[in-house]
Parts: sequence; C-alpha cells; structure tokens
Amino acid sequence: MTTMAQITSLRLPESWRSWRQRFMRGLMYRGDIDRGAKARARVGLAIVAFAAVYFIIAVRLVMFATVSDGRTAHRAVTGDAIATARPDILDRNGEVLATDVRVPSLYGEPRRLIDVDEAVELLTADLPDLDANELRERLSSKRGFVWLKRDITPEQQREIYRQGLPGIGFLNENKRDYPNGPEVSHLLGHVNVDNQGIAGMEKWLDGHGLAALHLAGLATDRLQNPVELAVDLRVQHALRDELVTARTNFKALAAAGIVLDVHTGEVVAMVSEPDYDPNNPHEALDPTRINRLTTGVYEMGSTFKAFTIAMALDSGKFTLQSTVDAHGPMHVGRFQIHDFEPENRMLSVPEIFTYSSNIGAARTALAVGVEAHKTFLRKMGQLDRLRTELPESAEPIVPKHWGDLNTITIAFGHGLSVAPLQALMGVAALMNGGLLIPPTFLKRTEAEARALGKQVIKPQTSEMMRYLMRLNVEKGTARKADIPGYYIGGKTGTADKVINGHYSKASVLTDFMAIIPADQPRYLLLIMLDDPKVLPETHGFKTSGWNAVPVGGAVVSRIAPLLGIEPRLHLPDADHLILASLKESR
Amino acid sequence: MILRILNLVVIGALVLAAAYVYRIKFDSTVQAERLAKMRSEIRRERDTIAALRAEWGELDNPARIETLTKRFLPLKPIASTQFDSLDALPDRPPQFIKPDSADPIGHIIENLQEPDQVTGSVAEPPPAPAAPTAAIIAPPAAAAPADDATPAERELPAVKSGRLDR
Repeated sequence: MTTMAQITSLRLPESWRSWRQRFMRGLMYRGDIDRGAKARARVGLAIVAFAAVYFIIAVRLVMFATVSDGRTAHRAVTGDAIATARPDILDRNGEVLATDVRVPSLYGEPRRLIDVDEAVELLTADLPDLDANELRERLSSKRGFVWLKRDITPEQQREIYRQGLPGIGFLNENKRDYPNGPEVSHLLGHVNVDNQGIAGMEKWLDGHGLAALHLAGLATDRLQNPVELAVDLRVQHALRDELVTARTNFKALAAAGIVLDVHTGEVVAMVSEPDYDPNNPHEALDPTRINRLTTGVYEMGSTFKAFTIAMALDSGKFTLQSTVDAHGPMHVGRFQIHDFEPENRMLSVPEIFTYSSNIGAARTALAVGVEAHKTFLRKMGQLDRLRTELPESAEPIVPKHWGDLNTITIAFGHGLSVAPLQALMGVAALMNGGLLIPPTFLKRTEAEARALGKQVIKPQTSEMMRYLMRLNVEKGTARKADIPGYYIGGKTGTADKVINGHYSKASVLTDFMAIIPADQPRYLLLIMLDDPKVLPETHGFKTSGWNAVPVGGAVVSRIAPLLGIEPRLHLPDADHLILASLKESR
Repeated sequence: MILRILNLVVIGALVLAAAYVYRIKFDSTVQAERLAKMRSEIRRERDTIAALRAEWGELDNPARIETLTKRFLPLKPIASTQFDSLDALPDRPPQFIKPDSADPIGHIIENLQEPDQVTGSVAEPPPAPAAPTAAIIAPPAAAAPADDATPAERELPAVKSGRLDR
C-alpha cells in the first residue's frame, strides 16, 4: 500500500498526467502525503456517512412507532369538544349544582354537499324549528363550514345520521347544565354560549386558572376536580321557597335572604328574589333580577342600631345599665328625629334596643363621638367595598362630610347605604365573639376563618349584644320570630325608601337579622323585603315586625333541622341564661 | 469456513430479530388501538355519568320533591316541639319471655306471678285471674313443643297470649 503512489506514477505514462490532474491534486493534497492513509480515510468517511444515514432511519422508525400511539388517541377525539370543559360545581353535601353535558351540534360543509334542496328538505323534516330559507342560504354559501343548529337531542341526531346526507355532520360540544334551575341562580352565575363564565361563581372559576387552560386549549376533556361551594342546596331551597311565598304574600318588589355561618363566614344560602334560571341566561339581563345582596346598596334601618349599641358598649362609656334621654322629638338643625313608638322618658340601653328608639340610638352615638363612630364603622367593614368571590360588588354610599347629623342618622340606619351582605358580615362579628370574618362562598374551616378574621370588639361586648338580640325576640320588636326550641335572637329594621331624592313614607324596606341560637351562636339569617304592602293580617302596619320577622321565623323553623341545630325546649329567658353567664365570667 | 457459518448465523439472527420486532410492533399497534378504544369508551362513560348525574340532580331537586310530597304524601314539616332527646324516652317495657327460652309459656306464667298479683292459691272471689289465663294459654302451649318450628314462630303465639292476659 505504501508504494501505491510510486506504482501509479510508474505505470502511468508521463503523457497521461495532464497539467489539469496535477493542478487538482495540488489543490486537494499536499504533495508529500501517503496515498494509502488517504484511501483509508476515505473509506472511514464513507462508513461514517452511511452509519449516520442508517441511524437517522432507525431513529425515525422508533419515532414513528411511538408517535403513532398519540395519533390513534387523537383520532378518537375528532368530532369532539369545540366548547371548552368546566369543572362541576357541587354544594357542600356533594349535590350537583352545575355540570357539563355533551350535546351534539349539527354542522354542514357546503362544498361537499351534493344536493342542497334534498338536504334542506330532509333536515327541516327532522328539525321543524329550523328555518328552511335560512338553511338553504347557509348551505348554498361557498364556505367550508357552517353551523346549522347547536344543541340538538340524541334522537334528532340519530334520525339525521340515518339519512346519510353527505357534507352534514355532528360535533359534540360541552354545554353547561344547571339541574336545579333558578334555585341557586345569583350565587352560581352562568356561562355564555362558548362555556365561559360571565357571572357569579362561574366567572370566579374563569378568573382562577380556568381561562388560562382554555386559552392553552387544554381544557377540552372533562376536568376531574369539582369545585365545592359552601352553599347547602336544601337550605337554599327552604329559604327561597319561603321568600317566594313572602314576596307574593306581601306583594313586595323583591325579597332576599342570606344564611351565614358566623364562625366560618361561609354563605350557606343566598337568595335574591326575583332571580333567574341560569339555563336561560338572558333572563339575567332584566334589571329587576339583580342580586340585591351584593350588587345593591341599601339603608339598612334599625338593624344598624346593633352597631351603635355595640360601639357604645365596647367603648366602655356605656354599660347595660346606662340610661339615655329619649324625650322626643329631637331637634337637630332644621330636622326633627321621631321615634316610631315614642316613650318620652329615660331609656336604658336594652330598652333603646328593644323599643328600637331612634332618639336613644342617636344620643348614644353622639355621646361616643362622631370620629369614634366613623372609626368604628370602618373597623366593622361598613365603609369600604366588600369583595367576595362573586365578581359583582357595590361600593357603599358614605356621606362626604360626616358631621353630627350624619352620625345621628347613621346611628339608626339612615344616611349610609351598604350592601346587605356587608351589614351581615358586621353583625356576624358582633355575634361570634368579636371576630370580623370576610364572607366566602367556598368551603372554609373554622381555623382558616380564625386566621383570616380580626378581632374588632371585645368578647364580652359580643355576649351583651347576643343578650340584647335575644331580649328583642322575647320582649321587643321581633316577638313573632320566637320559634320554640331554637332560642332565636334578632333585630328588626325598617327604612323609608328614597324615591326621587326624598324619603318616602309610602314605601319601606324592611329587614330582619336573626342569630340562631342566641346563647351559642351558629348561624346568622338576614331577611329583606323591598316595599312590602299592608295586609289585613298586619293591621295596617308594614314595619319589619309584621312582615320580615314572621318570614324569618318560618325560615328558621325550616332550616334549623337541616343545619343540624338541636331544638332545646324549656330554656330560661335571656336575663337568666346569657346575662347570668356574663356576670359569672366577670 | 468459519466465516461462512458466522454469516449464516448472522443472517438467521437477522431474520429472527426482524420477525420478533414485527411481532412487537404488531402487538403494540393492537394495544394502542385497544387503548384508544378504551379511552373513548371511558370518555363516553364519563359523559353518560355526567348526563345521568345532571338528570338525577334535576329529579332530586328539592323544589320538585316538595311539589311531589305536597301532592302525594300526607306528611308535614316537623315542628321544633316534635323533637325530643333520648334521655326523655320512657323505660323499656318489661319483657315477658327470654329470647332463647325453650319454654316461653312457662316464663310468661312465671312473670305473671308477681308479688302484688293475686294467684289462685289465695282464697278469692269466683273470677280468679289465674284460671282464665291458663285456659287462654293452653291451646298455644300444645303447639309450642313442635320441634320443627323456629323459636320466633314458637314465641309468636305466646306473646299474643301474653298481651291478652294484660
């Protein structure tokens, strides 16, 4: 081998070596290189090249073998999932509140259609509600894909399939279904045609990762983890049923109610009647069907006296034995403050509460001071917008310049408009030992709530407030809610509605807040009636005690067994049960 | 020679390997098809479950149940006064017969002879309670010793006669 160059140089005649060959060789190799080594290098290069080619072929083969699995799986999915999937929503006991069902939708591919007239004829025979002219127009178009009808029944699908029309096909879409209809409407919210949440908890779901999944196109399959809400479907139904009855009974514009767990802040039930069926979301556009509990703000009336009295007791300037001058009417500037049932004497703090004395509450608030009043209400979360999981929320209407007059009116619940849920959160703090817990629509444990909550009043003040609430049911304005066995405590409220910028004597907003049971608080109930009318049974009255309170009593007697509250009959009255334990603890 | 044998062996191995790989590939395709089929089956099952759950939710809806109960059942909501605690339950009524007793009738008679009860051994006005008791118990007592009767069957007439006595 070493002599290759010599041999060739010997064998080839000198004439064969043209200048050209020499030039090429000179270009490629140095003159002194060994030809044998050169040849070996060439063979090596060829081996490497072929090996690389075969390696690539092998790798591609392996890839085809593995990737083909994915392809077959993918093939099964076609004809599926245009609209995106959403997780199921369950109530606290696992009852389905919202779920996805697969519904077939009909589409056409006009380019592949052979006979438009035949297709139109056959399709309208199966789907009588389909407009023949519009259908013909769509199928005659030059587009590649047209929707013909979303959401058809499986029977219709079978019929159309049997006709074997070319260019007509079905796609399965996810459709949101709310099996309970209007029962849980405002709380759940609803979705649009593309299965995106546009209200209520459905919108909250989209805001928490689901929208991103949808964008990435990942949320096509059924999502495994359902979302559990705090709401209890049975309690929700009982509350709604009573409110619907009450609204027809009292011919009220609206009726609303909430059941709130005072220790966890969970909203166990929330109804704002009139409501809507989330399966039929365009009903929600009607402005009378708004959720009054979170999107509306109202002057809550006398229920606000609970805040006034709690502030007075918590400040240390008042005790349960303190008395306040309630001679009326009270003159403030050019205004006069009246009591609904004037007593015209010195009233003790419990009497102010149970007689619901405006003058008493106003004097109490003035004695504590305007700044302290403002600070206290801010601390109770009544002056800032309450944010919950629900996207809808309303800013409270707070007076810009807060003077003596504002403190006087706000002391008995006028001049400050808050969302009812917000007021309920504050009262829950007065009841549960002084912990202000933001309300939630999701499940929450007591420990989590304690970590979230902040102490706003002393535990003793809270106990005194519960005593007053119970006293008000035993002797005060809320006597009609005294359901035996549940030891209800409650505060009524009646506010004149503002119509065209003036307080109207003719229409009122009545509300009732009830704590069950008053000695060991567990749930706080709010009943609110918008403009209830006078009935023969109410003897010409339309204050809360005649409408909201009996409704509250009816609701409690229905929901307490569902909430697992054991009726305890033969309990001593508030003076002996709550007040006595209060004195003991001191 | 050795080289030729080696070549043959290699060719044989190659054919075997090819056949083996083909089988593996074929199997895996079959498995993949099965997997895809099962996946779609699972998907369909899930969809059916979801549809059924939705339907169940509709049927189980409290509003619907309430309308049905109002129409078809004489039931009413429980009032809070209708609840009571377990402590307030009255005592268990006295038991006349032991469950494993071979002679239930005898036990009833024993139990009847309480100290404050008048028996036939004491002089009494004509309608002595013991005599009719025995008369009433007598016919079932004849049936009692039948061995093939289960204890429950044997107890049944005895209990009935016991109630009669009282």
